[in-house]
Amino acid sequence: MNEGGKPLLDGGSGAVSLGWADRLRRFPWSLMLLLLLTICLGFGVLFSAVGGEHNQWLFWRQVIQSGFGLGIMLFVALVAGERLYKRFAYLFYSGSLILLAVTMVAGSVGMGARRWLEVGFFRLQTSELMKVALILALARYFQDHAKNGSLGWRDLGVPFLMIILPVVFIIKQPDLGTAVLLAGVGFAMIVVAGISWKVMLTLALLFGASMPLAWNGLHAYQKQRIITLFSPERDPLGSGYHIIQSKIAVGSGGVTGKGFMAGSQSQLDFLPERHTDFIFSVLAEEWGFVGGVTLLVMYILIILRALLISEMANDRFGLLTVVGATMLFAIQVLVNVGMVVGLLPVVGVPLPLVSYGGSSMVTLMIAMGLLAHVSLYSRQHGRSV
Amino acid sequence: MLDDDREQFRGDARRRLLLVGGGLGLGFFFLGARLFHLQVMRGGEYRTLAEDNRISLKPISAQRGRIFDRENRLLVENSPDYEVVVIPELSGSLRMLLKRLSRYIELSEEEIKHLLQMARKQRSFLPLRVKSHLTWEQVGSIEVRIHEFPGVDLQSQSVRSYPFDALACHILGYLGEPSDNDRKRFSRVSFRSGDLVGKSGVEQRFEETLRGREGVLEMEVNAVGRHVRELHRNPPESGEDLQLTLDMDLQREAQEALGGEMGAVVAIDPNNGEILAMVSTPTFDPNQFIRGFTHAQWQEVMNDPNRPLINKAVQGHYPPGSTFKIVTAMAGLVSGKLDPRETVPCGGFLLKEEQRFYCWRRHGHGNVALHQAFTQSCDVYFYKLAERLGIDAIERQARKMGLGGLTGIDLEGERPGLIPSRTWKRKIFKSSWFPGETYITGIGQGYVLTTPLQLAVMVSCMANGGTVYRPLLRKLQPGQEPEVVTRNYFSAHHMEIMRQCLEGVVHDPNGTAYKSRLEGVRSGGKTGTSQVARHKREKSGQIIKTTNEKLQDHALYVCLAPVDRPRIVVAVIVEHGGHGGSAAAPVAKRVLERFFSKYGGTT
Repeated sequence: MNEGGKPLLDGGSGAVSLGWADRLRRFPWSLMLLLLLTICLGFGVLFSAVGGEHNQWLFWRQVIQSGFGLGIMLFVALVAGERLYKRFAYLFYSGSLILLAVTMVAGSVGMGARRWLEVGFFRLQTSELMKVALILALARYFQDHAKNGSLGWRDLGVPFLMIILPVVFIIKQPDLGTAVLLAGVGFAMIVVAGISWKVMLTLALLFGASMPLAWNGLHAYQKQRIITLFSPERDPLGSGYHIIQSKIAVGSGGVTGKGFMAGSQSQLDFLPERHTDFIFSVLAEEWGFVGGVTLLVMYILIILRALLISEMANDRFGLLTVVGATMLFAIQVLVNVGMVVGLLPVVGVPLPLVSYGGSSMVTLMIAMGLLAHVSLYSRQHGRSV
Repeated sequence: MLDDDREQFRGDARRRLLLVGGGLGLGFFFLGARLFHLQVMRGGEYRTLAEDNRISLKPISAQRGRIFDRENRLLVENSPDYEVVVIPELSGSLRMLLKRLSRYIELSEEEIKHLLQMARKQRSFLPLRVKSHLTWEQVGSIEVRIHEFPGVDLQSQSVRSYPFDALACHILGYLGEPSDNDRKRFSRVSFRSGDLVGKSGVEQRFEETLRGREGVLEMEVNAVGRHVRELHRNPPESGEDLQLTLDMDLQREAQEALGGEMGAVVAIDPNNGEILAMVSTPTFDPNQFIRGFTHAQWQEVMNDPNRPLINKAVQGHYPPGSTFKIVTAMAGLVSGKLDPRETVPCGGFLLKEEQRFYCWRRHGHGNVALHQAFTQSCDVYFYKLAERLGIDAIERQARKMGLGGLTGIDLEGERPGLIPSRTWKRKIFKSSWFPGETYITGIGQGYVLTTPLQLAVMVSCMANGGTVYRPLLRKLQPGQEPEVVTRNYFSAHHMEIMRQCLEGVVHDPNGTAYKSRLEGVRSGGKTGTSQVARHKREKSGQIIKTTNEKLQDHALYVCLAPVDRPRIVVAVIVEHGGHGGSAAAPVAKRVLERFFSKYGGTT
């Protein structure tokens, strides 16, 4: 079943080197196409969200950023050799962790949070680096400490630590959205790596028990957001405003929407952050239930296509990288849309491929590139997809 | 590692991935279900909310109806009141702009400071009111330089203006902030802040007619309230104009004739009840209510002991005095108990059960029949007549002639007067009626109270042969009939007797109003002197002359002209004026003269 009789999931002895033609041939173009379609759909929404003619530069910047993102995906997938990412996974993780620590001390403050590191004229959001670093480092850890069957506490101590450290740093920034995202991605990888039911149950109990404690540890604005989620009408002009206006925008879209550039909530400034975190409301208002479901279906297709690659992974590292990258994408979609439609508290998580913004786009595309990279070096090419 | 091992892991991973994938699937299912709930099931509801967000309704005020007199002279009009506003975001430096503006419109340092403070509190694209009630010069000086002041605009709003100033102020009334009562009364109108409503006079009574219906401008606004575009305009409906029965020439004449005296004049057309003039003094200037009172000014008006806001013509209660003898005489004629040729001796007083009822002429009138008794206003004669008639007959006749109840004029706050009766006395004083009280009722003293308007209505009834019309302030439209309140049918014989009596008062050399007769037109009248305080008399019966003006008698005079076919009835009261013949009749004379010089002296 495999070419050259090389073991599939052993981390491999000899690396395979592929010619450029093979690399291009093996690249998962169908995934790229789905991403491109979704990005283009996003352009339509963004054009309306930035007010058509007025802020066109924002729109064109996003076009350039998206092109750049797709380029990065190709670069990450195609240029590196088979082992490169695994080899540098720990180094990358350590470097990112140090940068997160530096950010805590010396980062610049924007919108009430310390998230950025000034590198020359470039603002680096260090938590973005960590998203990729955590995926690679966890994948490598489970590869290096391969063990079948369910993993107990002893097996999971280090992975948990690898997750918790950056999550704590990021919560302190404070950036609840990214922290939740990292924790979710890490946890999903551990589940797939093989967590025992015993640990899972204990974790669930611990989680439940620590809720009151965690609540006290939250910043006032974070508590407010959670209270607001459940009763936005308590403070309609303050913290509840975003949720109320977003729900009105989404709901008033109805089945078919109000039409391109015709959403009153979007066009008349009632929607806050409408070109970034709340861009889904613009879509739902102007294109209705049909538009919203279409985008969700696109996301589901992308996720399914990405998970298919896990079938082709040669080893644990590859498989878990695919799981991590896919979860990074999927959790962002769920959290963002969940918050826009009033199911989840407002945390700053952008909508993948659609929200305006360079850094989240780049991070996602790196993750997609890693995904494609796994597919590229699959030993079972030609067998599936 | 062994192949088994990796195959086992792949199998395990696939299962676990299914678990994770199932979690994701559940998540997407929830999102889809939520979208379905919000957009498909509750879409209509949210669409309404979105529309409410988007649309702002701006009322367009309706032009209030104007008011004219019977000859179409404009009594109340709407004139623009200009204010300077500035939109701070267009003005550049607001402080500099205000400083430059202050050269033309007088802005003090404090005012500028206050405005700058206000500007910080509101959104910079909303207009800030700099100064209201601009004079014409100020408007002109800003208008020609408007391009020098970016963001500055002159806005006008319509305010009431009363070109005749204080003339007929009590009839026209004024506007003010709506009270809770007003809100209850005009429940169909939704008052907004700054809205005014008629507070007295016809402005109040004809509020619904004058008000019109306000229009609405539907504007699309964005989240911060900035107007984006106009969606729909529902134009306002102007209020109806109102034509009054007043003749401002007579009104002015009556006002001037009263001079500085306190009192009231009512001139009325006896054939349909139209009020030609109605004066109450002192007056006020309704324009002041527009420009706004300072607290001190308001206190001054409210605390003025002469109560300028009161319309004495309908709200003043006065004993009618001898003018009431018209009623007593008619009661006698109608009942058949009065023979006009029968004479009664007057010795200056009537002694009844050891109580003296005095005649105003202390030495008496001698033997008098109806005509002399009426023209010279002999009290003893009317004491005797009242005694013979009894209170019930007098009361009945007074009510038939429009006294003792509201006339129904189109003014708020009218008072009903008082015609006493046995039942009334029992109710109020819990005691029976004394014969002495009938005597003084017969000469219009005692409990009897009338308003000047009621006297005019009563005399009109006398003048037109027995019809009591509802007094009108709104001019009758062609084809519209005056409203009849009571219709009596006085016989031609009785009318003739009364006509001679009334004429005698003016034209007999010893009539009490002989000095106020007119050239060329024969008029009839009756003087009255209404007692304010019971005169202190010494044992001898000598009246102690009072020097306190507030205790002086009120002077009354009612008249009709021309006497054989009356076209005008005038009632005058001069408070503390003394004798009706000397103080009140000359006022009426001037009104009659003006009337006949204007409308012609013959029938």
